[in-house]
Amino acid sequence: MTLRRRQGRALQIAGVAGVAALALAGCSGGGGGGGDDAEALQVLIGTSGDAETEAVQAAVDAWTEESGVPVEVVVASDLGQELAQGFAGDIPPDLFYMSWDQFQTYAADDYLEPYAAGLDNAGDFYPALADTFSYDGELVCDPKDFSTLGLVINTDLWAAAGLTDADVPTDWDQLASVAQRLTTGDTVGLSMGAEYARVGVFMEQAGGGLLTDDEVTADSPENVEALTYLQGLLSAGSLAWPTDLGAGWGGEAFGNGQAAMVIEGPWISGALENDFPDVQYTVAELPAGPSGQGTFTFSNCWGIPEGADTADDATSLVEFLTSDEQQLAFSDAFGVIPSTETAAATYAETYPESAAFVAGAEYAVSPIAFPGASEVVGEFNTVVPTLATADPQEILATLQGQLEDAYSEVE
Amino acid sequence: MRQRLSAGLVAGYVVLVLLAVAYLYPFLISVASSFKTDGEAVAEPLSLIPQTPTFAAYERLFTGTDIGLWGVNSVFVTLCVTLGRVFFDSLAGYALSRLRFRGRSAMFGLFIGVMAVPTVVLMVPRFLVLKELALYDTYAGMIIPLLADAAGIFIMKQFFDSIPVSIEEAARIDGAGVFRTFWSVTLPMAAPALVTLTILSFQGSWNEFAHFVVSRQSPELNTLTTGVASLVSGQLGSGSQFPLKLAAAVLMTIPVALVFFVFQRRIMSTTEGGEKG
Amino acid sequence: MATRAPATARAPRRGSTRDGESRAGWLFISPALIIVGVFLIAPIVLALWVSFTDWNGRNSPLFNDNVDVIGLDNYAAITTDDRLTRDLFGRAIRNNLFYVLLVVPLQTALALFLAVQVNRRLLKAKGFFRTAFYFPSVTSSIAITGVFLFLFQASGAVNAVLAWLQVDGPNWMADPRGIVHVVIGAFGGGEPGGWDAPGFLGVSAWEWAAGPSVAQLVLIVMAVFTTSGTFMLLFLAGLQSIGAEVGEAALMDGANARQSFFNVTLPMLRPVLFTVLTLGLIGTWQVFDQVYLTRGTPAAATLTSPAYMAYDQAFTENEPGIAAAIAFVLFLIIIAFSLLQRFVLCDRDEPSRPLLRRRGPRTIASADGGVAQGTARLRAGPTERGTGG
Repeated sequence: MTLRRRQGRALQIAGVAGVAALALAGCSGGGGGGGDDAEALQVLIGTSGDAETEAVQAAVDAWTEESGVPVEVVVASDLGQELAQGFAGDIPPDLFYMSWDQFQTYAADDYLEPYAAGLDNAGDFYPALADTFSYDGELVCDPKDFSTLGLVINTDLWAAAGLTDADVPTDWDQLASVAQRLTTGDTVGLSMGAEYARVGVFMEQAGGGLLTDDEVTADSPENVEALTYLQGLLSAGSLAWPTDLGAGWGGEAFGNGQAAMVIEGPWISGALENDFPDVQYTVAELPAGPSGQGTFTFSNCWGIPEGADTADDATSLVEFLTSDEQQLAFSDAFGVIPSTETAAATYAETYPESAAFVAGAEYAVSPIAFPGASEVVGEFNTVVPTLATADPQEILATLQGQLEDAYSEVE
Repeated sequence: MRQRLSAGLVAGYVVLVLLAVAYLYPFLISVASSFKTDGEAVAEPLSLIPQTPTFAAYERLFTGTDIGLWGVNSVFVTLCVTLGRVFFDSLAGYALSRLRFRGRSAMFGLFIGVMAVPTVVLMVPRFLVLKELALYDTYAGMIIPLLADAAGIFIMKQFFDSIPVSIEEAARIDGAGVFRTFWSVTLPMAAPALVTLTILSFQGSWNEFAHFVVSRQSPELNTLTTGVASLVSGQLGSGSQFPLKLAAAVLMTIPVALVFFVFQRRIMSTTEGGEKG
Repeated sequence: MATRAPATARAPRRGSTRDGESRAGWLFISPALIIVGVFLIAPIVLALWVSFTDWNGRNSPLFNDNVDVIGLDNYAAITTDDRLTRDLFGRAIRNNLFYVLLVVPLQTALALFLAVQVNRRLLKAKGFFRTAFYFPSVTSSIAITGVFLFLFQASGAVNAVLAWLQVDGPNWMADPRGIVHVVIGAFGGGEPGGWDAPGFLGVSAWEWAAGPSVAQLVLIVMAVFTTSGTFMLLFLAGLQSIGAEVGEAALMDGANARQSFFNVTLPMLRPVLFTVLTLGLIGTWQVFDQVYLTRGTPAAATLTSPAYMAYDQAFTENEPGIAAAIAFVLFLIIIAFSLLQRFVLCDRDEPSRPLLRRRGPRTIASADGGVAQGTARLRAGPTERGTGG
């Protein structure tokens, strides 16, 4: 009897201990997701650095003051992955940077609240940007700002090579020749990331592009010409990819003095200021190719998850953040170009050194971004580093097939 | 004979010393390079003494990242998992070794079978379950799935099997209940296995990565592994910054290294756990 | 209650003890059972369901009107559909296969060599050597990967050492060339005609024969570096259980020694060898952490593994169905390789000895204890890619 009672008690203890341990683990949960204040709007951003984080925080604070709605700014270390996991886990942030390359995929899966078309400022954005963030002909989310690619030139190395302002290249031949002159033992003339988002501008300049009027044209002669031109620079030694120079990206190779020119966007100014404050540089428009000028525009929009309870608050925050005044404040802080035509004009006047980036907006196009394209582009990006020895025709034929497969799924 | 032996010995030593250098040098370089400037770390990759020692990487680590928070999370999760795992594994191991109940051998077979399931295969499926249970992106979701593991249960069962039953029987005749017998008689005798299991659980949960990738997403829930992983894999614009990454790697290695050196004999003992007898 | 007990004290007490034991038994294993059930068995069932549906990752895969059963389409997408996803899967399999084929023999051989060396009776500083060789096994894969990316950068420590030896080291992590291709190229050879046609899983014969890429060699070296210590301990336990003299004798005089090692020691170590190879095969087919960490490097396409691709499909391509299908195919691959290896290594004497049946109470070398020990150790160190449980 005593034995039995003791056993009973012992079992209870064991049980209680087990439950308690589980409960301990359980009650410690719930810390994630909404952060400290469950009521706060959560804004997920991918930041280019402290300057951007602080500027967004300041803007959001100003809005909180106005609206009384608390906001928490969360900085993603890998925006695409965290956003995807957030949607997969059914806890997307209330407002987030939606990048141009993922936008169509998200819109096609009905992940995004189409709030933008109904707002007053819907007509103020650059048409190319409005196109990028439209799905089924309707503007889904407000473009946050934008960037174009330009030719960033190290002025010290430029002068050392005996070049003057008059030598700034305006076509492919000139680019090849100055790149060659700038190439010395430790320095290559030109560098850029080995990816579609850089290489693709040469396709545009050649009059090509991956998609023309709803048709995949990856293997067009123009694109072959573009890759062949780059291949020529590579074999001449005047073009090298950053990784071949031991740098993480173009800006690092440029800052280290390993490359005298790089093709990058306005974000390079902040990075250079932080890491390589001594480097003197200027920015020119990209040289024209056989078919004229061409560059890419990259942008994020302010995404709101479809059907979110907080969509109204988030929309009003977006209106605040995309006002000309606020966008110019962002430009001040971290160099992006405002997404509305009026604010961008003011920007070009205020920052003549970045005028080349704004000028590019006139003829810039968006890189392809239909659903499924990102996987194909990712695959293309793994091939670009091998361009020096590969056959451009073959690369593009493969790309053509893969893009056609992906595109057929969209239609 | 003697001569040949010593010649062999010398050759053996040379090989072993070279190998030992190859095994240890990476760690020494990492520590040294974390005190170098970015430029020097790249220019002098082999030197063990920084020319201009600097704490810049560590300063940047503590001012520019949330490494403090990651560390706190790692400690919390590791403690919960280690305590829970040792307790639950011992309970289950004891039941499978000592208590006679219907279905015991089936249960034993189940745990053995589970041990063979490749865990990476379960990453995505486990995410789905956490999401269904609303445990995704919580501490609970990070901790509970790790609270028991088949290998640990097996080690404990093996050890209990090797302890003579007679002592327990004496305790039972004195009237102690099952849990009491387990807790105050058998478990203390299993101390060596418990230490082993504690160490392995500690290392395992401290170093766990894949599960924390799929069980959380909030930056507030980053552990050292997921946080440092975002540094190591690097983002556009962040550059190489090797000293920073190495400093992070060094810091996150210190706790496991300490445990390793303190319990070295225990860890390196090849006759441990259930195999002791 | 007190009234019931007296007369039949003896019999019921025994009965109640057994009852109590039974209840206690279930109670004792219930926490572990619940965790295993909820986080191991339920996921398998749920994933099996998802692998047959077109669920897009939104909301729940269960009781959801937007989710349709699409049969084997997700499996077809990674095996028979002539599309990029299939090609990526084929490449992940190829990459992982080379990884397994190099890592498993190398780590096993090195671990055995180290174990024999540090087991020598006359060796001084045994403790130091064992510590040195085992230490990498306790660190995290994240830290080790960070260290290796530093060591193997273009102007890094490894290339600096190679430079002493008058060797011009490659830009490791940026080099996607297969080493077989590199060797053929060095002898002036090239691709034989017709070898570039898409072959099994969309990967051409030329690519199947490429060997691991230069970049993947880094991951291979890293895996050997971090696992050989763990396996050394398992071999060491085995050697000690056979008796150190065998190994010692083996070292003493040249030809005979080698013979006795291969004829006597090695056969006796077969259970340990079996354990090490099994754990090695299972572990290397699950490589994830390093792949995830190097996903941004230039040669990342030559580093992928099915485990990483499953993650990628689930979380960046919004294709949980394909992800689940990959997980199951990977599961089958691992089982197939384990069975194959078991078949090859098993003796006729004990043709169907179950993997985990005990041989004797104290045989350290018994495969089961080794498996448990090894699993726990690997899970604790940088080799095990998976989640515990």
